[in-house]
Amino acid sequence: MAKHHVNLKVNGDEHDLLIEPRKTLLAVLRDTVGLTGTKEGCSTGDCGACTVIVDGKAVTSCMVLAVTASGKEITTIEGLASDGELHPVQQAFINTGGYQCGFCTPGFIMASKALIDENPDRSEEEFRHALGGNICRCTGYTKILEAVLKAAEEVSATA
Amino acid sequence: MSEHTVVGQTVARVDAVEKVTGAAQYGADVHPPGMLYGKIVRSKHAHANILGIDTTEAEKLPGVKAIITQDDVPSGRRVFATDKVLYLGEPLAAVAATDPDVAEEAAELIKIDYEVLPVVQDVMEAIQPSAPRLHGDDTKDGPNRREIATQIRRLSRDKENDHSNEISKLESELDNYPDEVYYNISAESHSEAGDVEKGFAESDVVVEDTYVIPRVHQTYMEPHVSVASADSSGKITVWASTQGPFAIRSGIAGTLGIPLTQINVIGTTMGGGFGGRFGVIITHVPAVLLSQKTGRPVRVQMTREEEFTDGRPAPGCVIKLKTGATKDGHILARQALAFWDSGSVSGASIGSTIRVRGVYKIPNLKVDAYGVHTNKSGTAAYRAPGAPQAIFAGESQLDEIAERIGMDPVEFRLMNMREEGDPVPAGASEPKVGYKETLQAVADAAGWWDREAGENQGWGVAVGDWTNGCGPGGVYVSVHEDGSVRIFHGSMDITGTDTAISQIIAEILTVPYESVTIRRGDTDSAPYSTGSGGSVVTFTMGNTAKLAAEDAHQRVLELASERLNMNVDNLELRDGAVHVVSADPPKSISLGELAAYSLSTTGGPIVGKGSFARQPSTPALAAQIAKVEVDPGTGRTRVLKLVASQDVGFAINPMAVEGQIEGGTVQGYAWAMMEEMQYGDDGNINPGFVDYRVPTSADLPTVESVIVEVPAPNGPYGAKGVGEPPITPTLATMANAVKDAIGVRITELPIKPERVVDALKSNGH
Repeated sequence: MAKHHVNLKVNGDEHDLLIEPRKTLLAVLRDTVGLTGTKEGCSTGDCGACTVIVDGKAVTSCMVLAVTASGKEITTIEGLASDGELHPVQQAFINTGGYQCGFCTPGFIMASKALIDENPDRSEEEFRHALGGNICRCTGYTKILEAVLKAAEEVSATA
Repeated sequence: MSEHTVVGQTVARVDAVEKVTGAAQYGADVHPPGMLYGKIVRSKHAHANILGIDTTEAEKLPGVKAIITQDDVPSGRRVFATDKVLYLGEPLAAVAATDPDVAEEAAELIKIDYEVLPVVQDVMEAIQPSAPRLHGDDTKDGPNRREIATQIRRLSRDKENDHSNEISKLESELDNYPDEVYYNISAESHSEAGDVEKGFAESDVVVEDTYVIPRVHQTYMEPHVSVASADSSGKITVWASTQGPFAIRSGIAGTLGIPLTQINVIGTTMGGGFGGRFGVIITHVPAVLLSQKTGRPVRVQMTREEEFTDGRPAPGCVIKLKTGATKDGHILARQALAFWDSGSVSGASIGSTIRVRGVYKIPNLKVDAYGVHTNKSGTAAYRAPGAPQAIFAGESQLDEIAERIGMDPVEFRLMNMREEGDPVPAGASEPKVGYKETLQAVADAAGWWDREAGENQGWGVAVGDWTNGCGPGGVYVSVHEDGSVRIFHGSMDITGTDTAISQIIAEILTVPYESVTIRRGDTDSAPYSTGSGGSVVTFTMGNTAKLAAEDAHQRVLELASERLNMNVDNLELRDGAVHVVSADPPKSISLGELAAYSLSTTGGPIVGKGSFARQPSTPALAAQIAKVEVDPGTGRTRVLKLVASQDVGFAINPMAVEGQIEGGTVQGYAWAMMEEMQYGDDGNINPGFVDYRVPTSADLPTVESVIVEVPAPNGPYGAKGVGEPPITPTLATMANAVKDAIGVRITELPIKPERVVDALKSNGH
């Protein structure tokens, strides 16, 4: 299959790649760029484990063809902590016990970060609905919501 | 105030940072150089004869490196189907290619010639003589025929007396049970205590119902995956996302007929298991065979769709249950006849039918259970295997009895619960368990005693019991010159168990939790460890860790005794140093100093060893209360309140324990209200998250968890396993709440909107 030239900007680094048009952004991030923090849970856009941020928006990377992401700013879970300092959302997931097996956690953290960046002042109910595209099988969501609300509060206070 | 400083405290988990930064390595994150991608070729029919497999076209595809079928399994042990498939998705062959998309393309190019056969998916149809037969000799007698047949056999064995009249009478009695010859039976289990017929005769109220529970998938978020690498010397390395690496090692060795020592299994971080990641499953052996054939590492990773068609989910079942009680509320008898949908192979947890007994004094109990073959994949454990199904039936029916005799459901349960010292089957007596304390705690926390319900609102309560298992494990502890403590073991972390082990060791060696690190070895390096499941780890590995730390503690005191020239009796370890008891001025030596000193002693470095296999463990109880509102127009049920209490013995890390309670309760909720694997003549028809709905944060309110601590005699610090109990009562909790809200008892799960609407209609609403 003919390959296409794609320029991916991932966590600030540029990657010039030749890739088949059938490859998803998820596959390229994991198999070509080597960033395996983004997870594959369903490959149909239903579980949210592969959520990354593309130009400020949370997207399920299994539903995006990599060729369409060329030239866009992509942030993955690996790009969230800066200078050894965890992002408030990451720290909140630790403090509240918002993860167990951790497989859905990168997706949840990225989806939560995008929501908080957009508007941290949401009610628990609003966050519950906004995160309805991410599946967690371990926690029952109670502690995830605690984490997201705590992180939102912190971001809101420092904004 | 707790007498402990590290155990009993909420601490951040040992894997906290790697889990929130994406650094944790799960099975599919393993990518050795030169790795190929494997794909399993699967049956497209639920029941068919295989007339031929043609790989010619697939072999021509550039990038394809190997295609294997059963002919490529040197041991001859069944890995792939050959002449017949019994379910949609059954493996027939496997491909390895340089790219995952090429592997998938190649799998599609393999031509399978099928002769389609009739299919049976419903257990009650499968036991009929008219049903298609999946295996050969699989006919069994039902409970009544079985008893008569046993009597006939006994009489026939007595050659000294003539029983021919009795025998012919019994033989004609068999004709009374023409429907009791069951077909497609994979296994059976029977038990009896007391005399149920007498118990029912003495009862004022007898209720009988049939409960239908669907097959559900564990739905761990990480689909099954294995990476295998066979080197030129024949050594095989397998990276597996598994609950038990040692069982995979023995499983592969057995399947391939090679020595244990030729296989090294490396357990990767696990993306959920819930019982579904035990032993050799689906991906491991094909990955090894493909690597042997190509001489390159191979990863075999299932898709979510493959999980639904060829996972090993929890069995569905049909339970006919009958309970009798006196009008003042004493349960006298209970009888169950259960048919478990085992799928194409045996293995459904039919023995769990006995859990209809619950935690109650029931003098007369009879349980007959059968595993039934259908055209589905086999089943496996799912969080307290078999208990949620049996307890759904048992606890639903208790509410029906309570209602008929006019007793409060909580009071009715409290009155019938077993107490310490009560007789239990197998000769033992009931240990001290917080049955009543746990139920009382949830009732108090939920506001049960002054509960109010608006229109179409209702409250439900149920309890579920489970006993944690135990198994072998080994742990080493070493103390280093900087006073830090290292732990080495071979047990897989399931959501916090490494943290609990670290806390226990920090507690005993009196060091801060932060100075303890834990490393897991592979099967080549680590001492044997049982699989992480069955609520085993905290009990087994906790006890093992305790022994190892105590061993190290002993060595520390010996060293201090030598160094300080003091008798051991005058020394105590606290705050990370050995102190001379009541010395004035105070005299002490730190663990770090002792570790440094140890390097030049005859006895050598500080290494503690712990090894443990079993001790009797005590049951645990989960009690839950839900308040719901049902929309009679749409049939939709909304949860307004969900409170879950659990007797955990002792919470080593309270936040992690709450997490287990909350997560298990939501899985139970999902089984009650949403989840069911659906099957047609073509096999599973809802193999994805759009059609198989699992709960999201939008479906539920906050789960309130209540920790109850009644110490377990043999648990570390009194702890017992906490993972499994919370799923056990929720199915009935929800059904009981819906009954209270709309006055209609729903006996078939899930309680989906259309089922509620139909139930209301058939009750004249």
